[in-house]
Amino acid sequence: MVTSGEQSATAHRPSEILETLKRLGFGVAIAVPDSWLGEVLVRVERDTDIKLIRATHEEEALAIACGARLGGVRTAMFVQNAGLLSMGAGMVSLAQRYQFPLLMLVSYRGAIDDPVFYHVPKGRVTEPVLKGIGLAHAVADRHRAIGPQVEAAATYAEEASCPFALLLSREDIQW
Amino acid sequence: MVSAKRPSRADYYRVLADNLPKDALVVTCLGNASYLWSAMHHMPENFYFEDAMGLALPLALGLAVAQPTRPVFVVEGDGALMMHMGSLVTIGAVAPKNLTVLLIQNGLHAASGGQPLTNASLDLAQLARAAGIPRAENVATPEAFASALGTAPAGDGARFLVLSTEPDIEVVKPPIAFDPVMTKQRFMTGLNVPRYIPTLFGGGHLEQKT
Repeated sequence: MVTSGEQSATAHRPSEILETLKRLGFGVAIAVPDSWLGEVLVRVERDTDIKLIRATHEEEALAIACGARLGGVRTAMFVQNAGLLSMGAGMVSLAQRYQFPLLMLVSYRGAIDDPVFYHVPKGRVTEPVLKGIGLAHAVADRHRAIGPQVEAAATYAEEASCPFALLLSREDIQW
Repeated sequence: MVSAKRPSRADYYRVLADNLPKDALVVTCLGNASYLWSAMHHMPENFYFEDAMGLALPLALGLAVAQPTRPVFVVEGDGALMMHMGSLVTIGAVAPKNLTVLLIQNGLHAASGGQPLTNASLDLAQLARAAGIPRAENVATPEAFASALGTAPAGDGARFLVLSTEPDIEVVKPPIAFDPVMTKQRFMTGLNVPRYIPTLFGGGHLEQKT
């Protein structure tokens, strides 16, 4: 079993993320597709400890996550940052208004290491928008092990009773 | 479908209150869906929306997945459904047998003063079936609603009952203050779900209170 702080910065980071979710007792994951997320979602789907729900839209995914957490299950979301931009109303009027603790694992497209040029407009506005809607967030540090960063994000969400978005690079999340 | 002479929301709610399983959880969407239900049947097991239009269905789906042994009922409006129609597809795919959707079809946006819907005459039960929810049917009377609640049709997955309803524009005054965090806490306490134990007290995880 992987325990807190033992992960290596050079280990397979998507595996560490999945192992950390399992160790922390996450029982449900809600996802909307992104190419970086594709394989990790296949792994989540094969896992018997975490039920994966594939939603049609990120705001819908957010509400499903709120419902699962309302029902007492620790819940994570896998979405692209485009989804953070499109879920704003639900974020403030549901997730934040009712203070649902949710871990949001976000593929940070359009950042400096993303070679796909059309993601750039989303990358440019992501963090300002998150600040604007008051969504607690952090950019994962690629020079540190990813597992403890996921654990810290999950802990923040629970102890502050709010959603927390951890913005992930391709190395973090692409299997 | 919207029929010529329609029962009121209260007519259906009386049937629901009389036929609700004892262990049921109820999610109500914004407007009179929440205000009237709280006036008629306020319980800790009710989760009230006041905003977040279109998100009651997906929240109820997540709740049904997290609480598979509890019957979950969700009251949603036709206008709200149109805002997030994709949630029908997700409910059809996940197919939780413990979820019953009560779709109020009154043909307009009642909670926003009666503004017209984009399309008021859709067969929403047919739409639900096409989205992968086979146990979907249109209901036009309280008697038919009572009968539907009393007899589950064969098959798996969620149930989807479209209730043809007279619009109610006047806002019902709720008997309690709708504090969102109180609503959530009361609901979770009533469910006795695992509590989060803070790291300060050696936690950082969910723990079932015995």
